[in-house]
Amino acid sequence: MNHDLGRLPAIFKRYPKSPESLIAVLQDIQKEYQFLPSEALAETARVLEVPLSKVFSVSTFYNAFSLHPKGEKVIRICVGTTCHIRGAKQIQEQLESQLKIKAGETTPDLKFSIETVSCVGACAKAPVVIVNEKYHGPVKVSDYKKLVKGK
Amino acid sequence: MRLSSTGQLTQLRTKCQAAAKKHKKKVLVCCGPGCLAAGAQKIADRFRTVLKQKRIAGFSVQALKETGCHGFCEQGPLVVIEPGGTFYTKVKTRDVEEIIDRSVRKDEVVQRLLYKDPRSGKSIRDWAKIDFYAHQNRIALQKLGQIAQCDIEDYIAGGGYAALAKALTKMTGDRIIDEVTTSGLRGRGGAGFAAGRKWRTCKDVQSDTRYVICNGDEGDPGAFMDRAIMEGDPHSVLEGMIIAAFAVGSSEGYIYVREEYPLAVVNLQKAIEQAEALGLLGNDILGTGFSFSIKISRGAGAFVCGESSALMKSVAGQVGEPRAKYIRSVIKGLHDRPTVLNNVETFANVPVIIDRGADWFAKIGAKNNSGTKAFSLVGKVRNTGLIEVAMGTTLRKIIFDIGGGIIGDRPFKAVQTGGPSGGCLPQSQLDLPVDFDSLTKAGSMMGSGGMIVMDDKTCMVDVAKYFLGFLVEESCGKCVPCREGLYQLHRLTIKVSEGRATEEDLSTIEKLSEMVIIGSLCGLGKSGPNPVLSTMKYFKDEYLAHIRDKRCPAGVCRELITYEITPDCTGCMACIAVCATHAITGKKGKVHTLDQAKCTKCGACYAVCQHDAVLVS
Amino acid sequence: MVSLTINGRIVKAKDGEMLLAVLRREKIDVPAMCHHAAVEPFGACRLCVVEITRAEWKGWCDYVTSCLYPVSPGLIVNTHSDKVNELRRTILDLFLARHPDCPEIAELAGEYGVFKTTYETVVGGNNCILCGLCTRICDRMGFTAISTVGRGHGKEVAPPLRQAPPDCVGCLACAENCPTKFIEYKLRKKRVTIWEREFELLTCTKCGKTTITKDFAEYLSRHRAIDAGYFEICDECRRKNLAVSMGEIVNWERELLT
Repeated sequence: MNHDLGRLPAIFKRYPKSPESLIAVLQDIQKEYQFLPSEALAETARVLEVPLSKVFSVSTFYNAFSLHPKGEKVIRICVGTTCHIRGAKQIQEQLESQLKIKAGETTPDLKFSIETVSCVGACAKAPVVIVNEKYHGPVKVSDYKKLVKGK
Repeated sequence: MRLSSTGQLTQLRTKCQAAAKKHKKKVLVCCGPGCLAAGAQKIADRFRTVLKQKRIAGFSVQALKETGCHGFCEQGPLVVIEPGGTFYTKVKTRDVEEIIDRSVRKDEVVQRLLYKDPRSGKSIRDWAKIDFYAHQNRIALQKLGQIAQCDIEDYIAGGGYAALAKALTKMTGDRIIDEVTTSGLRGRGGAGFAAGRKWRTCKDVQSDTRYVICNGDEGDPGAFMDRAIMEGDPHSVLEGMIIAAFAVGSSEGYIYVREEYPLAVVNLQKAIEQAEALGLLGNDILGTGFSFSIKISRGAGAFVCGESSALMKSVAGQVGEPRAKYIRSVIKGLHDRPTVLNNVETFANVPVIIDRGADWFAKIGAKNNSGTKAFSLVGKVRNTGLIEVAMGTTLRKIIFDIGGGIIGDRPFKAVQTGGPSGGCLPQSQLDLPVDFDSLTKAGSMMGSGGMIVMDDKTCMVDVAKYFLGFLVEESCGKCVPCREGLYQLHRLTIKVSEGRATEEDLSTIEKLSEMVIIGSLCGLGKSGPNPVLSTMKYFKDEYLAHIRDKRCPAGVCRELITYEITPDCTGCMACIAVCATHAITGKKGKVHTLDQAKCTKCGACYAVCQHDAVLVS
Repeated sequence: MVSLTINGRIVKAKDGEMLLAVLRREKIDVPAMCHHAAVEPFGACRLCVVEITRAEWKGWCDYVTSCLYPVSPGLIVNTHSDKVNELRRTILDLFLARHPDCPEIAELAGEYGVFKTTYETVVGGNNCILCGLCTRICDRMGFTAISTVGRGHGKEVAPPLRQAPPDCVGCLACAENCPTKFIEYKLRKKRVTIWEREFELLTCTKCGKTTITKDFAEYLSRHRAIDAGYFEICDECRRKNLAVSMGEIVNWERELLT
């Protein structure tokens, strides 16, 4: 798959060209493209002068990075301790069965992704679900429609 | 404007204070994590719009402040009208106009929005008089919720950066370190290492470069104190770091923030820019010749990066694998240079210590555990929120006096502290004073300050399984005891939860836990078995019920429970809608039936039933 | 030099020297699967763990990996205490669960009396024990062609993007140093395949036998200042040639003297 790499130079410009910038650069690429295209990894390796294997190692070590495209709507279910004891699992299963994908997956039409995240620090509103950037909480099992359809 | 002397800072403070006094009233809208999740941003926006329209005499929109976390998240969105501390809870956008008309324009109170004390049933106007706040003692959080987020003038008006001015002009590095040492301040990130001693070691190592790093990788699930401070009072962290840097002789600092906290990154960045613009950060701070810069380093989603050596690797752009620390990071840290690493709350305490003196601070708290500790009080407790109490306060006081007891007056079962490295403490430990040493002795630990309250509906086997599962995901995978040992411990707890375990498996858990503790490379593995060990210690009967009677007393472990629909069913069809496997059938208004063969025991029906017609057994 | 006590015996060592090096010199057998002289100590397998204490610790003791632990005066070491042996057994037991078909693990575990795992056998396990020797040696060689991928229990060693690694030169150091022979390569006539990448092998101009890969030779001549001509003959032939060269030198010296 070819991706428009034209947006990369602007990202590289923000940071010193050193291996120390690797994580920050990958984060910006992730944000820009919603995932890390393999061509972008190779370009990052070249520009920052980091071996490609290290770039790959870092992009698979950290949870924030994805090597596959994400859906338009990313539903992140907080599975922190508080959310867990307040029923995050039920909400996760409800969403999984409604969207017919598992956490970590994206629907074939690239509309939805489900992810789990271990604590977003909004424990007082547990269980919490974040749709794109918006926080919802406390979420009920019956809220799945609102989460999937709402804006 | 750049401040080139401490005198200019004082002038600025006077000016800011005078400007604030011009406003008769101040409207504080809490925009902390909890209130934001409850829609606080809309409330703040509404206030701004209506206030602009109404043009109230003696009041300008500048007196509308979007603050950091005020604390009482359970009651959010919160709005406070000062002076007087009128405290409005669960505010909706439609309430805004009324609040403005009655409490900003006039001195009246919107009675229905006040907090009602559940015991006396009386409404309380002033937030400081509410039990939740009255038992607290705020030092690290003292400005949080009282000042506008990211507003350096507000921070300065409240005495901010005075401690820095004092440190830079009236104290030497050694004096500052002595002061911090005398205060007894211990690192608030977990293990509680003495901050002063750490700074001393860093200063005494021969080196051309030293670093000061703030650990904002608040990874413990269930903890959000540091998030609240970084978002709501970022300047207190910066001020603490600059003082530390001056004390140890460092010119470069980093704040490592976990990626799940995007707003913290934004607000810290703004705060850094504001401080730089005023000459409080950067070159020649306050004209004293001392220079220090701070960069933000964003984490990328790895719990293990809270560990110091992993964090430093991550700051350097690498995979966050810890290294063995027979040489400590304070001696050989970032880029192999001496490095002071403290967490957010620790740094937030520093300006207050310098300002008010070590002796004042040392008198607060318990023996060898001076000062206060912030906690996020969450779980099945009635008053969830952010609190700060003197060290040595008992769990009972925190959970029942401040927290208001358990939701629905269910029985208290356990409180979890210290995150995945901590443990679960039972009823019998409720009178335990909360400090570093007591918690460790009881088989838990302070951790960064998450306090998760559990009731009888929480299964301790499930909790142990949950934490081990979390750690299996989060282990870096470098050393065998952690990678393979925690994995096997997790498998064993699954076996217990599914009713397949024997009592011999419990002794395997104990033995393997001990080996993981002594054998692992870093703190993640070394403390990883704590949740399973502490639950086995205090809730052995519950484990045995799963093993001997194939029963989960809390009704959580799926393999051991069944759901039934009782004749109380009103036929509302809510459960049918959420049942993913179509195990429930029935017509509107008729009692539904549940096909056990199709039921996956997900509990969705139980969660949605409004009529208590779903029974777990 | 400092004195320390190992298993009741006083031993001399250099201050700051790593304990495992001292143990090896003293011929004390301590297992280690992630250690290699060419790379920095790593502390991943934990098998070289020992019990340490000091007189002033008043009975308290600690468990450290000897590969990473610098010695200091007065250190008291026990390499085979009950706890240490139990920890090694546990690690080997965990290895057996993860790598049930690995002969090297089975052999070492057998030495410690572990023949069957106590734990649940991991489904889909392979023989990579994640000691990291391959990736660290690759780093040290200057290629960094392979690395660890992922984290936690699912961590593995792989080339970038799981494709033929662009930075690999086919030196085979990773495969030859793998303690469980997990990394495979295929030699076929004048070609070698590793990490799904095929390399051309140089042949000795004298005897026709294959030597190192062309890419490796190019790398060495470019980055390590070794003349490319050096690789035109194999080591055996070079040794054979030695007599001829030596004879020439001797003759040349004689001529100079006369």
